[in-house]
Amino acid sequence: MASFLPDLEPGPEMSPEFERKKRRKTEGNPSSFHPTQGNRRIKQWRTQREQRIYSSNLIESLRRSPTATGNYARDMAYRLLAVSAKGRTRWSRAILLGRLAAGAKMRKHKRAKVGANRKLRKPVSNRQKRKMPAVERKLMALGRLVPGCRKLPLANLLEETSDYIAALEMQVRAMTAISEFLASGGAQPPAGRLVNS
Amino acid sequence: MSGRRSGSGVSSISDDQITHLVSKLQQLIPELCARRSHKASASKVLQETCDYIRNLHKEVEDLSDRLSQLLASIDTDKDQAAIVRSLLM
Repeated sequence: MASFLPDLEPGPEMSPEFERKKRRKTEGNPSSFHPTQGNRRIKQWRTQREQRIYSSNLIESLRRSPTATGNYARDMAYRLLAVSAKGRTRWSRAILLGRLAAGAKMRKHKRAKVGANRKLRKPVSNRQKRKMPAVERKLMALGRLVPGCRKLPLANLLEETSDYIAALEMQVRAMTAISEFLASGGAQPPAGRLVNS
Repeated sequence: MSGRRSGSGVSSISDDQITHLVSKLQQLIPELCARRSHKASASKVLQETCDYIRNLHKEVEDLSDRLSQLLASIDTDKDQAAIVRSLLM
């Protein structure tokens, strides 16, 4: 995978901390990206254990604020999801940063950071015009949907998207199970609560 | 601007990369997976991916509303609160 993303090797503008992280674990650097690690993370999202932990955390946090609105619940749901990702993925870090300093100011900083870490992809240059506009447009749309991935190179975007989708699916499963359980008045515990996979 | 390595860099997205990305994405999206056809075009796969993510977002939003309502009603009932607590264990 590193062969077609040569200029993403760490350059002088990479901080030493980033270098350290790269050596330790994959940190968005495609040359050290292992498909197997990504796959393992994705399988993690699909385990009962992960869902159960997430559900407990979510219920706990929501109960702490009795006047929780739907928006608050949604924000909390996403934040907890990002926390569950343990900051290993760009989208989770983007969510946490976005929530931390509410608003456009932080987003501006975040964009600047993303840009500074790698050479910015050229905005529509003549090199890209040879691509079908539709595909290009949809790629950008995808980049906008996944938090923090607006200017990500293709390989990273794939990894982030896969992880993000797996996480979202887990989130939906967990929240659905919780609401069904609550709606039924606790008549039966959610199926699979005792199942470990 | 000077590229750090070769001149092509990341901004020249090759067809291979797109194909690779698209084939991987295809496996993730339930709709496309079911049909198992390799004929899905890049544009279609990307569209389905975006739609799928948007759908998931919408579901989360609806579920959050529902959850907050349910929890609000439960807080007033001690028995049900106990049930919720047991859920946490």
